[in-house]
Amino acid sequence: MRDELKRYNHFLAQIRQFFSQQDVVEVQTPQLLNTPTTDVYIDSIAMQVNGDFEKKSKFLHTSPEIEMKKLLANGSGDIYQICQVFRDNEQGSHNFNEFTMLEYYRQDFDIHQLMDDITQLLKTLGIDSQVTKLSYAQAFFEYGDIDILNTDFAALKVIARTHGLSIDFEWIEDLQIFLFTHLIEPKLKDLSLCFIYDYPAVQSALAIVEGKVSHRFELYINGVEIANGYDELRHANEYQVVFEQEIEKRRTLKKYTPDLNKGYLEAVQSSLPQCAGVAIGMVRLFSEINLK
Amino acid sequence: MANYSTSQFKNGLKLILDGNPCSIINNEIRKPGKGQASNKVKLRDLITGKTLEKTFKSGESVEGADVMELDMQYLYNDGSEWSFMDPNTFEQYMVNDNAMDDVRGYLVEQDMCVVTLWNDNPISVTPPNHVMLEVVDTDPGLKGDTAGTGGKPATMNTGVVVQVPLFISIGEKVKVDTRTNEYAGRT
Repeated sequence: MRDELKRYNHFLAQIRQFFSQQDVVEVQTPQLLNTPTTDVYIDSIAMQVNGDFEKKSKFLHTSPEIEMKKLLANGSGDIYQICQVFRDNEQGSHNFNEFTMLEYYRQDFDIHQLMDDITQLLKTLGIDSQVTKLSYAQAFFEYGDIDILNTDFAALKVIARTHGLSIDFEWIEDLQIFLFTHLIEPKLKDLSLCFIYDYPAVQSALAIVEGKVSHRFELYINGVEIANGYDELRHANEYQVVFEQEIEKRRTLKKYTPDLNKGYLEAVQSSLPQCAGVAIGMVRLFSEINLK
Repeated sequence: MANYSTSQFKNGLKLILDGNPCSIINNEIRKPGKGQASNKVKLRDLITGKTLEKTFKSGESVEGADVMELDMQYLYNDGSEWSFMDPNTFEQYMVNDNAMDDVRGYLVEQDMCVVTLWNDNPISVTPPNHVMLEVVDTDPGLKGDTAGTGGKPATMNTGVVVQVPLFISIGEKVKVDTRTNEYAGRT
C-alpha cells in the first residue's frame, strides 16, 4: 500500500518538476460552479447549497478548462492544474464519476508543439516508446478504407450498415466517433504511443477549425485514450456559438439544458492568447506506466 | 422474444444477430472523452461456432434469442439424424447430422449431453467432458511399456482418432477428454 502511494507521489513530483523547469505555473481553480458543462455527452453532477437561507443549484466541474481559460484571458501565461473532476452518467471499465485530471495550457504553442511537449513529459516519466502520429483522415484510410473527411452522413450510414452496425444517429459526428470506436481503436492497441490529430470540423468542440478539420488531437497509449488537446478558440463570440450549438443538441436529446455561461463569456471578453491546451487522465497514464 | 437494451447486456445473454442466435462472451463499455458511449461486444455464433466482434450504440436494443440448454440422453443415430431424449419429459429431439461435425466422434449411447435448443429446435450438442470409447484399430503396442512414454494413434469405435500410450491394444476401453481430444486414462 505505502509503496504504491509513494510511486504515485513520485509520479506527481516528476510531473510538477517537468512543468516547473519550463516555468509553467500550477494553479487551483474553483470546482463548484454556477453553470454546468454544455458538452453534449458529458453530464455535470448537480447539488443544492445554502438550503438554510437561499437554496441554489451548484455543479461540480467536469474539467477545469473553463476556469483556467478565464485565467489565460486575463494574462496568466502558461499554467497547469492537477485536480479531481466529476462527471455524471459515466460507465465502463476505464470511466468513473470522479477521476484525476492534469490540464495544461501553453501559450504560442500549436497542437503539434504540444504533442512534442507531451512526448517529452512522457519521456521524463519513463515512457520512451516509438511515437506514431496519424491524422484522423489517415487513420480512417489506413484502418477503415474510408475517406472520412469527404464522406457525407448518408454515405457513412451505408458503410456502417455494411459493417452490421447501427445507423440510428442524429448527427454525422456521432456516427464518425462510433465508427472510430469500432474500426480504428482496436488497431491502436498495437501502437504503444499514438497521437491522432486533425479531427473532422464537425467534431471541433472548442478547437480551432481550418477548412475540413479542427486542430484537435488525442493520445492513445496501448489503445487506451489518455489525452485530448486543442488549438484553443480565442474569442468570446466563438465560444458563444459552440455553447449555443451544444445546448441546442442537448435539447434535441432531451437532456438537461444549461443556461448560456454568460459569466465565462464576459471573463474572456479580452480574448485568450494563442495557445494549445490538453487534458490528461492521470490514473490511466499512471497505470500505463506501471504496466511497463 | 423480448428485446434487450445495451444496459442489460451481460455474459451469456443470447441475442439474434444476422439471423443467427449468438451468446455474449464479453461486453465492454467504451465512453470516449468526447462523444457518446458504445458497447464493444464479443459474441459466439451458436450455429457456426465463430466468434464475432460488434459495437453497439449505447441504448440500442437487440432482439433476444430463445435459446435453452438442456441435459439430454443420447439414444441412437439412424445415419442422418441423431436422437436425444429429455429425461424429465421423455420428449425426443432429432439433431441433424451436419450439426454434429465437431462432436460425433464422442457420442456414446446412454451418455448425458447438453443439447442447445433455439426456438425449441436443437442447434448444437455438447458431449460430456470425458467419454469411454473402445479402441477398434491401433498398431500393436510395445510389451513392457507401462510408463506411457511416447504414444500412437488409435481409432475409436466412434471413428475419432486419439493419441494413446503404446501399451493400449485393440478392444480396450479408454477415457477421452472431449474438449482436447486427449487420452485421459483407462477407467
